[in-house]
Amino acid sequence: MRPFHPQYILETLPQLLPFLPVTAAIVVGTVFFGSLLGALLAAGKIRKGKVGQFLANLYIYVIRCIPSIVLLFLVYYGLPELLNAFGIDINDADKAFFVITTFSLLFAATMAEVFRSAYEAVDRGQREAAVSVGLTEFQAFYRIVLPQCIRVAIPNFTNALVNLMKEGSLAYTIGLIDIMGKGQLIIGQNQSSYSLEVYLALFILYWVLTVLIEKGAALWERGLYRELKKGV
Amino acid sequence: MNLDLQFMAETFIDVLHGIPVTFQIVIVTLLVSAPLGFLMTVTKLGDGRIGRRAAAAYVSFVRGTPVVLQILFLYSLLPTLLNYLIKEVCGLSYNIFTVNPILYAYVVFILNTTAVLSEVFRSALLTVNKGQMEAALSIGMNRFQAYVRIIIPQALTAALPNICNTTVNLLKSTSLAFMMTVKDVTAIAKIDASFGYNYLEAYLVIFFIYILLCSLVQGVFHLTERAAAAYKKPASVRNARRVFS
Amino acid sequence: MLKVENIKKSFGDNQVLQGVDIEVNKGDIVVILGPSGSGKTTLLRCLNFLEKADQGTMTFDDINTRLHGASKQVIAKVRKKTAFVFQNYNLFQNKTALQNVMEGLVIARKVPKAEAKERAKKALDKVGLADRYDYYPSQLSGGQQQRVGIARAIAVNPDVLIFDEPTSALDPELIGEVLAVMKKLANEGATMIIVTHEMTFAQEVASKVVFMDGGVIVEQGSAKQIFTAPKEERTAQFLRRVLKDYDYVI
Repeated sequence: MRPFHPQYILETLPQLLPFLPVTAAIVVGTVFFGSLLGALLAAGKIRKGKVGQFLANLYIYVIRCIPSIVLLFLVYYGLPELLNAFGIDINDADKAFFVITTFSLLFAATMAEVFRSAYEAVDRGQREAAVSVGLTEFQAFYRIVLPQCIRVAIPNFTNALVNLMKEGSLAYTIGLIDIMGKGQLIIGQNQSSYSLEVYLALFILYWVLTVLIEKGAALWERGLYRELKKGV
Repeated sequence: MNLDLQFMAETFIDVLHGIPVTFQIVIVTLLVSAPLGFLMTVTKLGDGRIGRRAAAAYVSFVRGTPVVLQILFLYSLLPTLLNYLIKEVCGLSYNIFTVNPILYAYVVFILNTTAVLSEVFRSALLTVNKGQMEAALSIGMNRFQAYVRIIIPQALTAALPNICNTTVNLLKSTSLAFMMTVKDVTAIAKIDASFGYNYLEAYLVIFFIYILLCSLVQGVFHLTERAAAAYKKPASVRNARRVFS
Repeated sequence: MLKVENIKKSFGDNQVLQGVDIEVNKGDIVVILGPSGSGKTTLLRCLNFLEKADQGTMTFDDINTRLHGASKQVIAKVRKKTAFVFQNYNLFQNKTALQNVMEGLVIARKVPKAEAKERAKKALDKVGLADRYDYYPSQLSGGQQQRVGIARAIAVNPDVLIFDEPTSALDPELIGEVLAVMKKLANEGATMIIVTHEMTFAQEVASKVVFMDGGVIVEQGSAKQIFTAPKEERTAQFLRRVLKDYDYVI
């Protein structure tokens, strides 16, 4: 069996860290675009319109069934051809464009459910009570309903965020160089001789990132809770 | 945009041969992970501090790192490690590199699903009202009887939607098994596509295949949930059905 | 028949029971009264080992045991001689009414299934639910659920029936049907320990009334003595308050 060099894990980490911003940028971009689309889908589900409800439900159902890697490949190979038909050429677009597009499509479905369940978790009476004491509709939403929605949504959102970050590691399969992609490059350069060490370094990075996200969310939640309590 | 429809039809037929492999991974994984996951739940809810800590760390690690990374790591570790163990430690001459790679897929997905199911079972057990255990004890059952007859059946019903979710996610994760050279649905589509660069067509085909497979899984769970939750139905529905049957 | 001495129990710093003695003879209907937080429920739960007391001894026919550190066998034996009716019914949600009642017979007492079924039906008939055998708890009203709870308790022929505020989770209009069943059992000579806030019912059925406050028994005696001539000021005060509440409700 080939030798195992734990110190190589430590040597790999500094080589991976410069690519953390890429991983982060993918996550941030996806959260932004995915949440926008997700809000739209949630609105479709919440409103009474039959067509909107049907389309939103269909979208969420389909996305729920598709493995991320299949959608990633489909977007990567299919989107240029689709847009080509409309005379738009994106063959030279950055890999990140395809990655963010793919994961926004996936993330939107999750966020739609997060938004909807948060909205429905807040009792109707909260808005009515707020309006009854003279707040405007906007004030009622912004001051009373929204803070409660956010509190309900935090755990689900955190879950979605962690999943997104983990799934994002698939981007290396179309050649994006984030931490995962860099790790693969290092392994390739060394003819796979240090693959275990590199993978372990990546494990550490991802695990730390997940724990940080979860701890951050917990702090945020506690902060909001304290605020709510103070308000009383 | 031109799609090669004939290629798609051929690929569709080819890919159908991968469905048994995909389901094999899903079913074997679930069958092994369910008891292991339950054991882990018991450990987590138990009194042993070391066991509790270890289980929590394991779950945190598995859920905190990408599946694809777990696959790559185990697939580069296991064959050489097993080879070393068999040749050097046991002195046997079995060639581990001829083993069916689906075994590695089992290992990866079992390790992963066990962690997920242990959480599913834990939260399900916690949804069962404490009074149910007390009532069972008060009429003279012991704790084991109470668990088997009262608590677990209720917990299982509560857990079914999450078990369905876990199964759907597992099904989707098996699409990464091609990295371990397992010939599942995705692997076959990739191979077909690579001959003539028909990637778009090939992925469109499995796009629909996965929707079908996923619908099948959800359908089965839907029926199971309905049967299991008979006791939750309001009287009016039940009586109405009686009238018509 | 059942005698418990010097029960003590605390949750953290909160001393809920500070040395309580209670004695129950065959055919007794012991009603325990007291303000909320006085330890009544905890006392009942300790009798059935649902709560482990910190201290105390129990004599139950031929059983002699300390309340803390009782062996599993002893606990099982005591539980088979008693039956508990819970405030929130605690019916097994995954079993029908009939199955709920059969469970303790078949599983815990190894009664043959056919016989258990007969006994379970008889118990359900007695509480007036002959037409609800196959209903699940979620399909029954609160009063019906509690009557199943009582049927489940009496089906095992316990020496002592323990009721923990059996009507406090019920809507007012459903309380009557449950109390009626309990009164019927009392008239048939069942031995019962009851925690309740139903004062009229307590006056009618109790052979002994125990008034608890702050984790101790303040006073006990016959229903007539406690309700008409309480010796302790705390008892009198409590009764004035609750009986006034009654007037207010009416």
